[in-house]
Amino acid sequence: MKRACIVVTGIGVVTPIGTGREQFWTNLLAGRCGIGPVRSFDTGAYRVHRGAEIQDFLPEAYLTNLDAAHLGRASQFAIAAARLALTDANVEIASLDRKRAGVSMGTTSGEPREVERFDDFFVSKKLELVGPEFLALYPSHVIAAHIACELQLGGVNTVIPTACAAGNYAIAHAFDVLRAGRADLMLAGGADAFSRITFTGFAQLGAIAPELCQPFDRFRKGMIPGEGAGVLVLESMERAKKRGARIYAEITGYGLSCDAHHMTAAHPAGEGAVRAMRKALEQSELRSEDVGYISAHGTGTLINDRLETLAVKRVFGEASYSIPISSIKSMLGHTMGAASAIEAAVCALACFHDRIPPTINLEEPDPECDLDYVPNFAREHSVQVAMNNAYAFGGNNASLILKRSETAHQ
Amino acid sequence: MNTDEIKASIKSSIARITNLDPCEISDTASYKDDLQLDSLTILEIAVDAEYQFQVKIPDELLSEIHTVNDTVSIVQRHLEMVVA
Amino acid sequence: MRNRVVITGMGIVSSLGDSPFDLHASLCEGRSGIKPIELFNTEGLACSLGAEIRSFDAKKYLGGRNLRPLDRTSRLVASAAQLALDDSGLTDVARNTVEVGLVLGTMFCSVRTISEFDRRSLEAGPAYASPMDFSNTVINAAAGQTAILHKLRGINSTISTSTTSSLQAIAYATDIIRTGGAQVILAGGADELCFESFYGFDRAGLLCRSDNAAGGFPIPFDARRNGTALGEGAALLVLENAAFACERGANVIAEITGHGASYDCSRGTNDREAAEAVGLSIRQALNDAFTLPHEIDCLSASANGSLAGDRHEAQGALLGLNGQTRSLPVTAIKSMLGETLGASGSLQAIAMVETMRDGVLPGIWNLQEIENDFPFQLATPDNRHIDLKTGLINSVGFDGHCCSLVLARCN
Repeated sequence: MKRACIVVTGIGVVTPIGTGREQFWTNLLAGRCGIGPVRSFDTGAYRVHRGAEIQDFLPEAYLTNLDAAHLGRASQFAIAAARLALTDANVEIASLDRKRAGVSMGTTSGEPREVERFDDFFVSKKLELVGPEFLALYPSHVIAAHIACELQLGGVNTVIPTACAAGNYAIAHAFDVLRAGRADLMLAGGADAFSRITFTGFAQLGAIAPELCQPFDRFRKGMIPGEGAGVLVLESMERAKKRGARIYAEITGYGLSCDAHHMTAAHPAGEGAVRAMRKALEQSELRSEDVGYISAHGTGTLINDRLETLAVKRVFGEASYSIPISSIKSMLGHTMGAASAIEAAVCALACFHDRIPPTINLEEPDPECDLDYVPNFAREHSVQVAMNNAYAFGGNNASLILKRSETAHQ
Repeated sequence: MNTDEIKASIKSSIARITNLDPCEISDTASYKDDLQLDSLTILEIAVDAEYQFQVKIPDELLSEIHTVNDTVSIVQRHLEMVVA
Repeated sequence: MRNRVVITGMGIVSSLGDSPFDLHASLCEGRSGIKPIELFNTEGLACSLGAEIRSFDAKKYLGGRNLRPLDRTSRLVASAAQLALDDSGLTDVARNTVEVGLVLGTMFCSVRTISEFDRRSLEAGPAYASPMDFSNTVINAAAGQTAILHKLRGINSTISTSTTSSLQAIAYATDIIRTGGAQVILAGGADELCFESFYGFDRAGLLCRSDNAAGGFPIPFDARRNGTALGEGAALLVLENAAFACERGANVIAEITGHGASYDCSRGTNDREAAEAVGLSIRQALNDAFTLPHEIDCLSASANGSLAGDRHEAQGALLGLNGQTRSLPVTAIKSMLGETLGASGSLQAIAMVETMRDGVLPGIWNLQEIENDFPFQLATPDNRHIDLKTGLINSVGFDGHCCSLVLARCN
């Protein structure tokens, strides 16, 4: 029995360069940069001072049932992205069998500000000021739980906290849940809030760039931490067609692998990344020649960008040179658990619009990174198949493949 | 604090961080090539030394820490700067 | 056509022992792992008891390897993984021919490490924060560290669904094996006992107070219950494609025949909705296992002494099993293990497998008067002798998550 075809019918994003699919996509293609001085805490004692924070976010605009005061920031982003995605998909919640509508979200830190608050009070010997809200707001499962509570969805509810690859993991899980017939509709994606802890850690590793994120550039100096959320509405092609939904793209398959090498450094030959890409192609029943665009993990660190390039060459051979591969982290910074979810949305939009976003700030080519990274300007490009790659601490690698839906273009 | 005291303290930290026997940690053994320590572990040793002795070592100098002797001498130099 | 998924090995580290045999013996003898906490100071808190693993030393299981990079949670997981791999016969050599995956359920993973990392940065300055500790501040740290230590290059994932995490991890791994995505996956969960999470539960009013009717211990389903006690542990099952297991001559212990999950949007505040969510989870699991309610030989309840939670599970079981709970033997091992959060469901699974082996179902320790309208005639403090062919395991979270698993004995 052929398994159900799963499609993307709605996209919701909250990012440093725009909220909502249209604003985000327009700004992305225009090469807008969301990086600036960190404002959410004092970086005076640090050697680096820049991040990609979301300014002026008003959660109340997206809340009907829950109170923003009882939600951590990542949950607020997640709910907003979920609502935007459902609206974008033209789904009336009232029309859903709520017990068969679920949520699968990825995250790196959960709600870091809640544990930071705990620590602030602990250190100033005022821990008694931390009450029951700590357990209600902090543990990472709340990100998917809060979406379900706000939208009243009683189906499968999962958080997959596989760090910087979490979005892809969450989408892959939702894909499996739908194909197993456990749900009719899934909201899948990722969310993370700007975190002092994350910023401190990456700063200590010397991984944060002083000014800009310049993936694949010869003089790149590292990543820039960010925040945001991306949520996709996923359902079967059959269901989507039946209700006359717009179909952005089809998810054809995914590949997950583990380096089992080092917590913070990737395998030196890109072994895990290669396996994830090959598994994704195999599950999708596609060949490497079919891929027309790659959304890179492209964090902007010396090692990642070099190893990622190496891994792509191992999988695609000579053809690597004719597949455009761009990193939107050049514009959004690294939105952590949200990153690959937002990037999956970008792949869906690339298939839908036949346009691909640039890697900005790419000024000086690096001889070790010599592929076509779509430098600085977006491009019209026919995209039949797009691959979305993500790599995380702990050696978690995930590749997701999306394909143009012919239905969309009839 | 004299050189020997600093050295003993640093070796004790390295032993704690790496699970190596302090006797196996010679003054001149290369962290990377002889002790087979990865870059995260070496960074941890450096930051731990900074924390223990309350000194701040500039990034450029951190990359010059290859052995116990290097670590001791950089820490000592910075302790002297603090006192001065 | 889906592959059958069997259990070929089990590994546990718990307050009641580090072998399924020892755990089962302790539960059947009514020995509780819940004791005064020594790991941290509980002064000023309502509860001072927990099921702590006293004198836990990971070196006992992992030998002379450098364990400094691993925090307590990672050490618990890596230890349980070693035991499970040994139990299944998947040696280093065997693992060269098959990719072994790891799917770990955890509610907090490294909240203590996260907090300590942050506090040092606050107190001493960010320049003194520990880089090695930072790598353990991600919630997939324990899964990552364990994969590195044991060279597990298959699928590696972490599932965080509150106290249902390990059962959901087992369900996730089961589905991957069913659809051919893997042959072998270590699946289960873990959480450590630490001040940060303990404080959170205490302040939320979920922990049983020292002056309660049972001397500060949790009493699942009892009319006098007033909360739970936290515990810690790690429990992993080796799940395999049945055909692959048979081919390599593995010892097949039990089969995972079905699972279900749902979410209570009232987060436990509406009795009816909460019970319905539990009922739905059970029904889905039974349907997935092609099993009828009367074919369930026993229920391993999630009940942990929670006033609302135990009620929701009892009412939910009645719904999910179509009212057929009168002659259903029920156990609630959290009466002795405490609420081990991310490890709870997988500990229940291992305990159930042991009952399949020797036919003894542990009683619910300290249970004296079951709540009036709870539909469990066979929930007692005494052990029961049962012929356990098919068992149902529940995980019911305190804030909405529900998951159920059906296990079948393999003769």
